[in-house]
Amino acid sequence: MPDIHHPGRRSVLAAGAAVGASWLLSGCTGASAAPVLPTTALRGAPDRGGVLRVARPPASEAETLDPASSLSAYEYLGALYNRLVRVGPDGELAPDLAESWEPDARARTWTFRLRAGVTFHDGRPFTSADAAYTLRHILDKATGSPQAGVLAPLLDPAALRTPDAHTLVVPLKSPNAEFPSLLTHYNCYVVPDGSARSIGRTGIGTGPFKLESFAPAGPGRVTAHADHFAGRPVLDAIDFYSVADMSARSNALLAGQVHLLSQTNLDFATARVVAASDRATVARVKDAQWYVLPMLTTEKPFTDVRVRQAMKLAYDPEHVVKVALQGAGTAGWDNPVPPSDPAHLAGHPEHDPEKARYLLRRAGHEGLAVDLYTSSYDPLFTPMALAYQDSARRAGIRVRVRTAAADSYYTQIWMKKPLMATYWFTGRPVDQLFTQIFRGGSSYNETAWRDQDFDAVLDRARAETDDRRRAELYGEAQTLVIERGGAMTPMFADRLVGISRRVRGYAEHGFEFDYLGIGLKGA
Amino acid sequence: MLTFLARRLAAAVGTLLLSSVLVFLAVQALPGDVATQILGKDATPDAVAALRSTLGLDQPAWERYLHWIGGALHGDFGTSLVSGDAVGGDVAAHLGNSALIAGVTVLFAVTGSIVLGVLAGLYRDRWPDHLVSTVSLVGMSVPEFVVATVLVLCFSVALPWFPAVVLYGPDASAGQLLPAVWLPALALAIVMAAYIVRMTRTSVIDVMASEYVTTARLKGLPTWRVVTRHALPSALLPTLHVIALNVAWLVGGVAVVENVFNYPGVGKLMLSSVQNRDLPVIQAIALISAVVYVVCNLAADLGALALNPKLRTRGRT
Repeated sequence: MPDIHHPGRRSVLAAGAAVGASWLLSGCTGASAAPVLPTTALRGAPDRGGVLRVARPPASEAETLDPASSLSAYEYLGALYNRLVRVGPDGELAPDLAESWEPDARARTWTFRLRAGVTFHDGRPFTSADAAYTLRHILDKATGSPQAGVLAPLLDPAALRTPDAHTLVVPLKSPNAEFPSLLTHYNCYVVPDGSARSIGRTGIGTGPFKLESFAPAGPGRVTAHADHFAGRPVLDAIDFYSVADMSARSNALLAGQVHLLSQTNLDFATARVVAASDRATVARVKDAQWYVLPMLTTEKPFTDVRVRQAMKLAYDPEHVVKVALQGAGTAGWDNPVPPSDPAHLAGHPEHDPEKARYLLRRAGHEGLAVDLYTSSYDPLFTPMALAYQDSARRAGIRVRVRTAAADSYYTQIWMKKPLMATYWFTGRPVDQLFTQIFRGGSSYNETAWRDQDFDAVLDRARAETDDRRRAELYGEAQTLVIERGGAMTPMFADRLVGISRRVRGYAEHGFEFDYLGIGLKGA
Repeated sequence: MLTFLARRLAAAVGTLLLSSVLVFLAVQALPGDVATQILGKDATPDAVAALRSTLGLDQPAWERYLHWIGGALHGDFGTSLVSGDAVGGDVAAHLGNSALIAGVTVLFAVTGSIVLGVLAGLYRDRWPDHLVSTVSLVGMSVPEFVVATVLVLCFSVALPWFPAVVLYGPDASAGQLLPAVWLPALALAIVMAAYIVRMTRTSVIDVMASEYVTTARLKGLPTWRVVTRHALPSALLPTLHVIALNVAWLVGGVAVVENVFNYPGVGKLMLSSVQNRDLPVIQAIALISAVVYVVCNLAADLGALALNPKLRTRGRT
């Protein structure tokens, strides 16, 4: 269970049940009522107090509250902990436990000035020792943190310095002007010094809520931490319930048993039923997920860059957005950096089936036939695959869509079959995105793409302290991904979140969730 | 009589042994590996190999089978590969919750469907028969998750009488679970009752046409007496097996329905264990299901033996 970008993975059930249920739901409301899906959450101020009830998919029976772990109970993390830095709504970095940070002239050593007067839930003051310990804990092999793969090439745990209680100095092995952005990852929440053994159960952090109870894959509760440095949260408490089945989650919302469905991208039929209900509605998170058709660059015929280019030119992303997303998203044009990201590069080659044909002929793959694997794991996989199939036909590419079992999809198909469907949550800063998913040899490099030019551009971008020049270099990196890489990115999809009509102040972007401001009307 | 019993018991034990082998083999054949499932995709090959050896997954299959079945005979089903808890206790807690549903279901289904079946049999080819037969046909054909979802929409969403899902974990008390038991039980009863209704109807029709019922009628006994004293005991005999098979089916049907209701029973445990490739838990549940099947069949056979004097003598001839 590697990453939050596969939320459904934690909640797959007999797919038939989910499909059947949504069919039934839509059948019950009747064909006449096809309400337009709302584009934002309900506005207005929440009342103070109240208990928010959240249904979430459990990570596993071995869930833990250790944020660094790959099995962390994701929804608890932002409530219990803080990071040094977070991502603001504009996509730029914002202070969290660190008030400011600056690099030396070559971006080889970063100095973080930490917030004073912050206490952990057990009353201990937060100091630089805790911040340094958190980084060492992530890098510790025994933790098995997914973020270790990103940080280990940069960080020497022994080299971290804490000159005073509120200063953390981080010397890097190689220059990186984007280093702080790597600390916005949800594995990087700050835990108390020396807590590795107990943190998975105690959940002691500096966050707006403190832990009252927690059971792996079971219910749990967090209560407001009145002494939080950013003020007391609106709510008195949040109850988390784990509901594995997606349709059971929406039933709980429709019946008024819970207020919010976490990590659930409602399918369109269910979303319309939810939006039409008196109790619940749908909130949209714009471009929240990024969908990919990765081609394994180590498998034929995708070892040939001309075939990869042809596969990309052959289809029209606008068509995929229209068919698979019913318009609720943005065309990706094979660039994984979301349009909302400040680093996003707008340029891209146009859809060109004739050129795709030509490239295939040159590569000796005229009339190419490929298998494209999908599963019911995510409701959009198969529609996306079919839309691709349909669109690529004009370039003479025959795509056979094959459906694999959902529960073993990410162990048997992902990164194993040459061509398949997958998705990620957006919200990764650009350097994290490229380092984790596109750099040669990195753990989530799902296309097994190794390109020395790309890695070199990435290194130069990181070392570049001039912001404008760095942005250009990240733009070059995007061009390389688009022109040579193995990942087709047809679309960014809005996430449709099921939410009670009583919820106010709901705000979510990327991996950021506003636990302070969310509340209930009539609490 | 005794030889019949001995032979029947031997067959039961043989079936169990065979199913334990099949269960073991089937679980081994599941695609996906528990070590990768536990460690996640980032796991290094070394870490996976080390975990496989700690879990004993590198030993030959027959050795693991003997070890497992030996433990199971002593009630020791090993420890969960995922949570690290003893499988026995974990499965027992979930089984207890499922038993609550199963009990209510059997109560609903058996009493309800026998009454309806008798009614249909007595009013053969008249409107009560048509109504009961059609409804039971529909109940039989619709999958349980559809029935369950319709019930949720009607009785939790539209009319908020019952909870739509259970928000408690497996250690919830019976009192906490009780309000959530009725809808799943009703869904299962609807699907299950259909078979019993049809079986009861057929045997009631057969018995009512038999000579001794005609004789009883000619003696001038009132109809209700003919039905309850003379017809019903014989009519119920063939129904026993259908009931037994359906009770055994409950174990599987419960899995689907429990997921719709997020009910912390053995079916939900089975599904999450399959997803996590938690082999000891899957094996334990599958073996217990096999035991339930065998025991239900055995009980039906012995019940039939007790009700039917003719069968008792068959062993001697």
